[in-house]
Amino acid sequence: MSTDDSTRPLDQPAPPQPATPPASGRREELGRLGDGARTDVFEVFRQEKDGDPMRHAGNVVAPDIELATHYAREFYSRRQESVRLWVVPRTEIADLSDPDLLQPPLDRSFKKPGGYVMRDKLEVAKRRAKAATKPKIGHPQ
Amino acid sequence: MTEPARLPTRQLLQPDLPAFDTRGVEPALREALAELLLTMADDEFVLGFWDSEWTGIAPLLEEDVAFSSLAQDEIGHARVWYEMLAQLTGSDADEIAFGRQAEEYRHARLLDHPRTDWAFSIARRWLYDTADSVRLAGLTRSSFAPLAEVVAKVRREERYHLLHMDAWLRRLAGHPGEPRDRLEGALTTLRSDALSVFAPLDGEATLIAAGVLDAPIAELADRWRSVASGVLSELGLPALAEGLPPLDGRSRAEPSESFRWLWSEFTTVRRLEEGVTW
Repeated sequence: MSTDDSTRPLDQPAPPQPATPPASGRREELGRLGDGARTDVFEVFRQEKDGDPMRHAGNVVAPDIELATHYAREFYSRRQESVRLWVVPRTEIADLSDPDLLQPPLDRSFKKPGGYVMRDKLEVAKRRAKAATKPKIGHPQ
Repeated sequence: MTEPARLPTRQLLQPDLPAFDTRGVEPALREALAELLLTMADDEFVLGFWDSEWTGIAPLLEEDVAFSSLAQDEIGHARVWYEMLAQLTGSDADEIAFGRQAEEYRHARLLDHPRTDWAFSIARRWLYDTADSVRLAGLTRSSFAPLAEVVAKVRREERYHLLHMDAWLRRLAGHPGEPRDRLEGALTTLRSDALSVFAPLDGEATLIAAGVLDAPIAELADRWRSVASGVLSELGLPALAEGLPPLDGRSRAEPSESFRWLWSEFTTVRRLEEGVTW
């Protein structure tokens, strides 16, 4: 059905003319931030349910920590998807990405736990643990 | 006279609304409750639509999402009140929300003003949210159990609305020059209309006698004035108007030009084809 006046049923009132025309854009007079406004980036971490680790969710841009917290709430839990949020100014995060510190060039394979055959030892340990579950009075082990 | 039982047919669609038996509510109380629910629903509905006008044009993207979400929350609250009203009176929530003429809405005069600029929307929302929180507090021990139950839930959401608005009020007040000037201008424009949230209701005495409302609405207005005035004077902002809430704060022979425009917006789709199932 058309909204054209010629097809509008007679018993319906004519739509009134807008008294307040919709504003045209973010940069317009009404909503601009102002010359002195400064915004910072805040990193947001969220916990999905109790006991989960805090995971990086994303970030928000805000003029201060208080509004950043409100925005984090709207961005990362308005559909009740978090039970806890951490909001951290990006400037407070120590960033470590130096390859000399994190990815040294020499072979470090001897620091990895790989290379040990654990299967047989694990079997023995399991048997021992099972035997130990039969408690002996006065001997907890 | 006994009325036929009414099945709660919409119950599955409306998990926030507790089921209740309308037959136990005597007619005078039902009428008074209906009046109260309609004013609360219309307040939230109209504010929600005004503030949704900021979607896409708020001062920063994050605020845009947040403010739109707040606006949506208000329409969500309106939905529960309209549903409760519909269940109480045996009518249809959508019909009440969208099917009335502009002059039939009972929102407070505070909400007749257009969106205007950012400071104005913040000032209006802060005034409304502080008033609404006092009104909701006065209903927490309501003897009408479904109302008390929903009020408890709504208050938990309104709490962060209030925190958000308070942050903005203080932010604008704390920046001399244009931000503060615009905020002061808005508060000066709204200082007397803010009281209209507490305009007296016809069924007020019935509501108090039945234990739905814990005090006369004029007393709620005093409670609100002391809370809001404390913050305004702390920030050196224009004071609220003195006097009693206006008798005609919610009834209007002619809706304001701006509300008539808003009404035409939010009923546009509904009016495309009467009675159709969407």
